[in-house]
Amino acid sequence: MSEADQELARDLGFLEAYTIGLGTMIGAGIFVLPSIAAKAAGPASMISFALGGVVSLLAALSLSELATGMPKAGGSYYYVNRALGPFFGSIVGWGMWAGLTFASAFYMLGFGQYLLPLLTPHVDFLASMSGLGKTVAALVMAALLTGVNYYGVKETGSLQNVIVITLVGLILGFLTLGLLSGPSIGEFNPEGWPAVAATVGTVYVTFIGFEVIATSAEEIKNPSRNLPLAMIASVVTPTILYVGVMFVSTGTIPLDVLAASEVPVKLAAEEILPGFASAIPFVSVPSSLLAAIGGTVMILGAVLATVSSANASILSAARVNFAMGRDEILIDWLNEVHDRFRTPYRAISVTGILTLVLIGIGVGVGTLAEVASFMYLVTYALVHVAVVVLRRANPDSYEPTFRIPSVLYPVVPILGGLACVGVLIQMSTRMVPYTLAVGGLSVTSPFQLTVVGGIGIVLVAFGVAWYYLYARDRAPSETLVGEAIAPAPATAADGDGTYRVVVPLANPASERDLLRLAAASARTHEDSEIVAINVIEVPDQTSLAQDLTFEEERVERQQELLEAARDIAADLDVGLRTRAIVGREAGSVVLDMIAEEDADQVVVGWAGPRGRREHVLGSTVDPIVSRASCDVTLVKRGERAGGDVLVLAGEGPYAPVAARRGTEYAAATDGTVTVCNVQPPGDGEESTATERGEELVEAVIEQAGIDDPDETRVVVDEDVKETLLSIAGEYETICVGATRSSALAQAMFGSLPERVAAETDRTVAVARGPEESPLSIGEAIARRLES
Amino acid sequence: MTDSLTEHLVVPVANEADATRTARALQAYEFDQVTVVYVIEHTADAIDILSPEQAREHGQDALEAFRAVIPDAGSETVAAADVVDGVLAVAADVDATAIAFQPRGGSRIVQLLSGDTALRLVTEADRPVIALPGGEEDESEGARGEDT
Repeated sequence: MSEADQELARDLGFLEAYTIGLGTMIGAGIFVLPSIAAKAAGPASMISFALGGVVSLLAALSLSELATGMPKAGGSYYYVNRALGPFFGSIVGWGMWAGLTFASAFYMLGFGQYLLPLLTPHVDFLASMSGLGKTVAALVMAALLTGVNYYGVKETGSLQNVIVITLVGLILGFLTLGLLSGPSIGEFNPEGWPAVAATVGTVYVTFIGFEVIATSAEEIKNPSRNLPLAMIASVVTPTILYVGVMFVSTGTIPLDVLAASEVPVKLAAEEILPGFASAIPFVSVPSSLLAAIGGTVMILGAVLATVSSANASILSAARVNFAMGRDEILIDWLNEVHDRFRTPYRAISVTGILTLVLIGIGVGVGTLAEVASFMYLVTYALVHVAVVVLRRANPDSYEPTFRIPSVLYPVVPILGGLACVGVLIQMSTRMVPYTLAVGGLSVTSPFQLTVVGGIGIVLVAFGVAWYYLYARDRAPSETLVGEAIAPAPATAADGDGTYRVVVPLANPASERDLLRLAAASARTHEDSEIVAINVIEVPDQTSLAQDLTFEEERVERQQELLEAARDIAADLDVGLRTRAIVGREAGSVVLDMIAEEDADQVVVGWAGPRGRREHVLGSTVDPIVSRASCDVTLVKRGERAGGDVLVLAGEGPYAPVAARRGTEYAAATDGTVTVCNVQPPGDGEESTATERGEELVEAVIEQAGIDDPDETRVVVDEDVKETLLSIAGEYETICVGATRSSALAQAMFGSLPERVAAETDRTVAVARGPEESPLSIGEAIARRLES
Repeated sequence: MTDSLTEHLVVPVANEADATRTARALQAYEFDQVTVVYVIEHTADAIDILSPEQAREHGQDALEAFRAVIPDAGSETVAAADVVDGVLAVAADVDATAIAFQPRGGSRIVQLLSGDTALRLVTEADRPVIALPGGEEDESEGARGEDT
C-alpha cells in the first residue's frame, strides 16, 4: 500500500512566480488609472504611484515572511486569522473578498471603456449609446469570465505568459517612443500634496495583485529566496512602468483632455506615434494611419490586461472563500467542488454575480478602484501587525524560511502599518469641517467622510457584525496576540486548586472504563471532581432550539447516558458532575468546556483506527487531542481492564506524563507498575544499549516524580516493535506518551511505542501534557502587569 | 509466463460519488491488488482555478470514499498537467497490470470541453485499460443537472 502521496510535482522557479505576479499586477490599472489619477493630482500623481509601490514593497516583505512560515491558501486572510484570531479574520476575509470583487468590477468597466472605441467606428448603434455600451461590454465579459472559470476551461491558463510578455513589451514600447517624443510636463502639482497622498489610495488597486505569489508559496522552489525576490520584483517592475506611463501621458496630452478621457493610454499613443512617421525608412506612412495603429494596439493591450487581472481576482476570491470556509468563518457550502469540472463553482459564481451587480448598479470606475484599495490597505495594515504578533508569540509551527532581515525589523512592519493607515485616513476623509446639528445640539467634526471611506467602513463593520452573529460561535477563537503581549515564558494558569477531570461520553459501552480511569487520576488528588459531558450535535442549517424539539429521542439517550455515569461514579465513590450540552460540533464544545471548567485532564475514548488523514482519530477526538490546554489521555479499550500496568518509556516529551497516569491507574486497582524500554542493539556492545535504556527509564521516572515502580525492564532486541508487542501482551493496561509535533497524525502515532499502542489489543492510554495553548489577551495583560 | 490482467489495477477516481460508484462496480469482480488514484490538475504557469490545497482535500475525500468500499486499496494523489498523464504516470510507477475506470457520462459538449478523458485514456495508455460498467448513472446523481 503506498502512502507516498501529496507530492506536488509543480515547482515554480523565480521566473514563473515573477510572471504570475506580473500577470496580475500589470493589469487594468495602468490603462485605466492614468486619467483618474491625473484628474486628482495632475502630473504629481506619478509620486502617488511611486508611494503606492513603496507601501506595497513593505507589505511584500511582511507577506514574504508570513507566506514562507505558513504556506496556505487564502494568503493574508489566513495569516491574520491565525495570528490575530477570527475577529480580525472575519474583517480581513470579507475585506479581501469585497476588495477582489470591487477590483474585478473595476477591471471589467475598464475593459468596456477600452473596447468601445474599438467597436464604435464599425457598429453604428453602439456609438449612440457609449455610456450604456461600456457597461454592457463589461457585463458580458464578466459573465464570460465567470463561465470560463466555472467550467474550468483549461486553455486559459497557458495564455498567461503570452499576455504578460505582450503587455510588458507594449508598455516598454510606449515608454520608449513616448520619452523619445520629448514629453513636457506643465504644472507638476496643481492639486497639492494632500491630493497626491489621497491618490495613493485611488491607484493602490493596481498593487493588490502581488499577493497571488504568497498563495502559491508551497509550490515555489527554494521559497526562502525565490518568494521574496519574486514578490519584490513584481512590485518594483510595475511601479517603474506606472510612473513612466504617468510621466509620458501627462507630458504628451493636455491635463484636461487626459482627465476627461476614458482611454488615456490610447490617446497618448495616438499622440506619440505620428511623430515617428518620418523615422520609418523607405515607405511613407501617413501619420494618421500610425496614430490609428498605435491607438488600436494600446486598446488590444488594455483588453488583454483587464481580462487577465479580472480573472486573477475572481480566482483569488475563490481561494479566500475556501480558506474562510475551512476555518468555519464562512459557510462551507460555497466551497463545494464541482463534480465534473473540478472547480469551486459556487464561490466563483457568487463572486461573478456580485461583480455583475457592482457593474450593473453603476458604481463609478473610480469608486470601484478606491473601495478595492481601501479593503486591501486595511488587510495589509493587519498583515504587518500579524508579523509582529507571530514574531513575539513565536509558536512552534511558525518557522518562516524567509525572515525580514534584522536591520529592517521591526521597522518594516511598523512603517508599513502606519503607511497603510495614513493612506486610509487620507482617502476616506476630507478636511472640510462638518457640523451635525440635532435639535439644539450641534457637533462639529473637523473632517468629512468621503464616499469611499463610508463604503469601506460599512464593509469593515459588516465583517465585525459577521463575526459576532455567525463566526464567533463556530470558529475556534484562537489568537496569538495574548502570547505576544505576555512576558515569556508563559506557564499554564493554575486553577482554583480542585483537580478536575473532564470526560466526554458518547458510548454507553465504554462509559465505565473511561470513568474508571478518570477516577483513578482524580483519587490521587485531595480535592478533585469528574465532569462528565455529553454533546448532542445539531447540524448547521437548523437552529439549536428548533432541532431539539425533534430530537427528543436523542435527548432521552443523553439523559440515560449521564444517569448511568452518575451510577458508575457512585460505585467508584468519586465526585461527579454531569453536563448535557447541545452544540454544533462536539469537538469544539468539549474544548470550550475544558476551558470553562479549568480542567486539569481530559479523558477521551477512542474506538480504534478508522479513516485516514482527514480525521486521524475521528472528527470529535481530533480537535480535542490537538488543541486541549490540559493533560489529555486518549483511551483505547482493550480486552481486559485494570490490573497490571506497563509504561513505555521512550524519548518523547510526554513519557513522564504517561508514567504518572500508569502509577495512578495501578494504584486504583492495586496492580503493579512496570516501566519498560526496548533498545535496538545499535553499533556498540549490548551493554551500552542496555545502559542507554536504563538511563532513559530512570530519567522518565525522575521527571514524572513518581515512586519507584514495581519493576523496570530494559530489553535489547533488533525488532523493537515485535518485542514491545509481545511484552505488552503480558500486561492489562499500556501507558504511552504522545510525541510533540504540530501534525496530529504524527503527534499520536509517529513514534514506535505509539504504533505498538495502536496495534495491541490491551487497554491503551496515550497521554500528553498540556499544549501551550494561546493565552487570551486579557490573561496576557494580567500576567504582564503581575510580573 | 503470462500475468493476470488484474494482478495490480490502477483505478482513477474523480470525486467522492465517482469513487464510491467505481469501487462498487469493481467489487463485483475478482482482482488482486488495487491502487486508487486521484489526479490534481495544474496548469504550468498560471494560477489554478482550484487551489492545490482544496484539490487535495477534494482528492482525499474521493480516496477515502473508495477505501470505504475497498479498504485494502492503496492510494495515490499525484499532480499532473492533466488527468490522463497523471493516471499513466502512477500506473507506470506502481507497475500496474491494467488500468480500470468507469467512464462517466455527460453530453457531447461537456465531453468536448473536458477533452474526453475516457477516449484519451484508452488511446494513450501503454497497458490494458478496463472499462467498468455502470457509469451512466452519473447524469442524475453526480452532476445534479449543473452541466450545460
